[in-house]
Amino acid sequence: MFGFQSLRSSVCRGALIVAVLTVSSSYAQDYALMGISGVVGAAAAMLEQGNYSGAIPALEEVIRRTKELTSAQGRETLQNSRFQLARAHYQIGDTAAGRVLLKDYLKNEPHPEERMALRMIAQGHLEAQEWEEVATIAQQLLNMPQLAVDDRLTANLLLGQARFRQEAWVDCIEPLSFTAENSKSARTRQLTQIMIVRAMVESEQWRALFGWIPRLYRTDAKYDITLNLTLMRAGKALFDAGESDDYLNSLLLYRMVLPREELLEFSQERVDRLSASIAKDTQRGVKQIDIDDQQEELDSLKASMAILKELTPYEDEVAFRIGQIYAEVKRYWEGYVLFDSLYEKDRNSDVGEASVLQSVLILYELGESERAEKRVISYLNENPAGQYARSLLSMAMRDQMNKQNLEKVISLRQYIERIPPSNEDGELAVAADLHYVLAFGFFQNKQYELAGEQFSVIIDSFLDSSFLADSVYFRGITSMLQEKYEDAVEDFRLYQTNHNTGEQYAPAMFREAVCLFGLGEFEESETVFTKFINKHPDNILVSEAFSMRGDIEAAKDGNDNPDTLSIDEYDPHTLDRALEDYRKAIDKAYAPQQAAYAAFQAAKVYKLEAKWQDIIDLMDYYMELLESEADVAQAVFWIGQSQIEMGQVEDAVEAYLDAVERFGNEVGQEGVDKIVLELVKISEQHLSEEDLQSLAVKLSLKLDGIEGDENETLRLRLRVAIAHLEGEEAAAALGDELLADHQDLSITTPISLALMCNSAVMAGDTEQMGLLYTYFLENFEESEELWHAYRAKSFQLVFSEDTQGVLNSIDEVQSLFGIEPFMGWAQILKADTLYGLEKYQEAEEAYNMVMGVSDWRGALFAEAMYGMGRCRLALEDYEIAHSFFQRTYLLMKGYDDGIWAADGYLGAVDCLIRLDRYEDVVSTLEAMMEDPYVNTLPQIETARELKKKYRDA
Amino acid sequence: MKKTILSLTLAAGLLTGCFAQTSPLPVELLMGNGRSWKGNLIRRDGDWIEFQTKTAVRPIRIGASTVKELKFKVDVDADKISKMMEARQFNRIITTLSKSIEPFSEYSDISSNLTKYNALLMELYHRTGKYDNSLAISEEIARDNRNPLLQAKAQTYQALSLIESGKSEDVRALFAEYGWQQETSKEASPEELYIKAKLLVLNGQYSQAMELVARIVAFNSQDPDWMQPAEMLCAEVYTELGMYDSAEEVCRQILILYKNTPEFDKAKKLKIKIEKLRAEKQVEESLMSEEV
Repeated sequence: MFGFQSLRSSVCRGALIVAVLTVSSSYAQDYALMGISGVVGAAAAMLEQGNYSGAIPALEEVIRRTKELTSAQGRETLQNSRFQLARAHYQIGDTAAGRVLLKDYLKNEPHPEERMALRMIAQGHLEAQEWEEVATIAQQLLNMPQLAVDDRLTANLLLGQARFRQEAWVDCIEPLSFTAENSKSARTRQLTQIMIVRAMVESEQWRALFGWIPRLYRTDAKYDITLNLTLMRAGKALFDAGESDDYLNSLLLYRMVLPREELLEFSQERVDRLSASIAKDTQRGVKQIDIDDQQEELDSLKASMAILKELTPYEDEVAFRIGQIYAEVKRYWEGYVLFDSLYEKDRNSDVGEASVLQSVLILYELGESERAEKRVISYLNENPAGQYARSLLSMAMRDQMNKQNLEKVISLRQYIERIPPSNEDGELAVAADLHYVLAFGFFQNKQYELAGEQFSVIIDSFLDSSFLADSVYFRGITSMLQEKYEDAVEDFRLYQTNHNTGEQYAPAMFREAVCLFGLGEFEESETVFTKFINKHPDNILVSEAFSMRGDIEAAKDGNDNPDTLSIDEYDPHTLDRALEDYRKAIDKAYAPQQAAYAAFQAAKVYKLEAKWQDIIDLMDYYMELLESEADVAQAVFWIGQSQIEMGQVEDAVEAYLDAVERFGNEVGQEGVDKIVLELVKISEQHLSEEDLQSLAVKLSLKLDGIEGDENETLRLRLRVAIAHLEGEEAAAALGDELLADHQDLSITTPISLALMCNSAVMAGDTEQMGLLYTYFLENFEESEELWHAYRAKSFQLVFSEDTQGVLNSIDEVQSLFGIEPFMGWAQILKADTLYGLEKYQEAEEAYNMVMGVSDWRGALFAEAMYGMGRCRLALEDYEIAHSFFQRTYLLMKGYDDGIWAADGYLGAVDCLIRLDRYEDVVSTLEAMMEDPYVNTLPQIETARELKKKYRDA
Repeated sequence: MKKTILSLTLAAGLLTGCFAQTSPLPVELLMGNGRSWKGNLIRRDGDWIEFQTKTAVRPIRIGASTVKELKFKVDVDADKISKMMEARQFNRIITTLSKSIEPFSEYSDISSNLTKYNALLMELYHRTGKYDNSLAISEEIARDNRNPLLQAKAQTYQALSLIESGKSEDVRALFAEYGWQQETSKEASPEELYIKAKLLVLNGQYSQAMELVARIVAFNSQDPDWMQPAEMLCAEVYTELGMYDSAEEVCRQILILYKNTPEFDKAKKLKIKIEKLRAEKQVEESLMSEEV
């Protein structure tokens, strides 16, 4: 309770003045013998001296004598005496007696001190904690007309306090607010403000409460311990409620809570000041009643401090919750700085550890991933066994995974291995997640073996993981991509057995069939494809299943009929079934590529059967079905080829020219590039000189007719076509020109890039070789011209003397293009590289492989034969070496203008010298000098010198 | 004063026929030696002032430089000013206050109790976007080291006025002069954080600015002076960062917490701006998705 003491003293002072003004002084003690004036005077004198007990008998005597009087003056004296007697009782602490007198006073007339009397009665009830009575009287006061400001203030204070004590939270706010607004006492204002805040918290009047906050926090009221504890309690209740609005209200309450130390420090200062003041006032003889006021405040303050000191430190918990709410309401930075400070304050506490997790989450949310990862790494280095180690690492890995920084994902593997194992379910789940992400890091980085190892970790060690099923499936994929088809089949079957409701059930069946195909188990593969098609007729992969089953049928070459027991039985309908499957594949395609694959595979089958019109019909069907998504250029290419076969060369050329013009400006229409090359081929094989000229003119006219800068790709394609028609030199010159002009690569397509790659190799421009390779691979990975890019890259590695790189690059390009006619360079380069590494036997084998490919017959054969000779020479097997050199100059003298033959002669001579067969040396040199294929080449000078040297040996 | 200057001043007075006459100004004179006198300032005469005590028959001339401080009796109705503040009638307060202290302008070179009124004017000019006026006053107060708290506040406003005027070079020079270039410590005051955040905003370094201003909000939530501007700055910087949900949330909180304040008005405007920006962004995104 507060306010009572000060109010009591002020009431008394007010009453005293009334008494002094209305009665005269007297000091007589024997009241029975004294006249009425004397008794009144004595009472007044004692009251003035503060001798309330002494004044009581005198006042009682006055009342006794005047009770029966009826005159106005008599009644006035009686009433005044009643009032003063009541005051005296109040002052000595007998408020009950005082209240009886005041009620008598109010029942009778006159009662000029009615308002004061009511205030005193109310105070009496206040002291007795009779709150309803206090409220009733305060309300009675407030209902009075023309109430003085002071009375209104007191009445509101009484009513507010009473309602507050009655926990009538809504009702107390208005009277308390009036007091807080109007009281001249800073302490009263402060205390009422605190009560208002408490009432608003209890009645959940959040909006009204928050209106008070700025005012409250401009005063020392903010240091009130009870207030802070109230706010914290309310904040927690709202936070736990967990509703959106509650979060905000909780935040605003929590934000008001001051740190414990700050509260204690402020309170201690106040305790010291109050203690000093009480001691001083006691020494000075200040009235006890005034000292009691201070003592009451001091006691209350000490009690609050004791409660606060007993509390577990709450600041970190409050700060953590504030941070959580800030994050929840998307005030991420505010949340971050709080979590950051908690983490920095004590990294090893529960709050500190939880804060690092929260701060990292927010940093990722803010896109500050570099900072987030730095923090994660720092945490993992400091505390690999920390309770959030796995979660944090998972966040870092997933972030890098999302950014496709695969090397980074993989580099985080070391931290997985440092985290000690755990048996806790939640930890196991996160641990499995780490291996899963790492597996995909390896997988996407094309490190399939390592990816498979990580999937195996999950399969072997995390049997309850939600990633188990997917791990089985993707381990199968990694095996498939490594061509470990047996392992892959095993996993795909395992998946189908154990997870037959799993998301990958249908794909697993499809991949099983694909792998069986890879294993050469065509019948089994076909069976599984059929099973897949029947079981999942609407699956996204069904088009591919039809296509692949079509491929199997087409490959049977009429020797197998799956519908009959005998596998060797002749079946004339395999190609028909293949075509049927391809048709279904086109119809069931979900993606344009699926339809395109089937359509063009079907075209190949028709080609086998020379069904040219069927190809044309199929392509028309395909283009009609796919409309704008069709690979029109490719389709036109097939139509053109068929027309040529049907002798409709002019139609084919026209169709090609039309396609070039229509689609030639679209970089992505790679079929146009095929058409351009096909046009060149047609011109060489089918067109007369006159028609060739006509074609060249048509192309030139189209080139000249291009206007504006928007058709640059078409312009470039036409330039390439014309250059190819003009011959190899013109094509090479165009490549040089494009390279020199630093052609904008965004308008290039495989045919122009191929020319540029070749020119870069010829010029030894390693920078361009690298750039072109990268651009080519990134943009035209499926192109048939891609080998040009690999060639450029391989030679770039040759120039930088990265021999292992060269061998890897060649392996890669050979795995893509095998032994196509244009791939001889790769095998020669491989052999040369092995020779450079002094791996002569391997080099010889590599050269020898060239001889096994009939498409490479010609200059490559000569170069390979000479290479084999060099290998034997290096191995000091001179006889064999000699025979290789001899074959080079005897059998292959016509290739590459005799260069290899000339070198062969000199190689043979070298062998003969080492064998000391000097006569043969001379005769060989003479034969060389007489050989018209070589005797004009620069090597002939060497031959002459050698002959001179060995003629007389 | 040198004799020649005195002569010139006298001559000027004679030419105009009289000295500049103003009403006597009640004042308490605090002298450098610690003594003080109450009386009236009669007039200013260059480096001299004429002062008359209540009992003296005629005024005496005192060198202005010997006066440590003047305590004027300024006719300012604090309650009225306070009400106008609540009503955000800042221009009215500026007019009223300027008029009230105008009679003392002749003595502005001498330290006086007018500083607190000037400090208020400095804040009000800043609030109303008159940064040059705010800057002029803040420079004046920043030179006065009698009240370190007020001096620090003036330095803050000096920096803020320069920042708001986009004078980044001047801001840098000021930071160097006050030694504010160092890295912001964990214990940095809200005003330091605020100024630095504002400077970062000026330089377009929004994320860095956001981190600093977030520290004001997170660690100074009971600071009645800096919380409001800091929360407003938060909302503005979130907007610049394109984090419209966050910006709107801050606006929502400002509208709940700071009714009848300039920040309340700013938050209302910013909410409208955010809606517009969001709509523009949506249109842009839909156009982009159509292009794709």
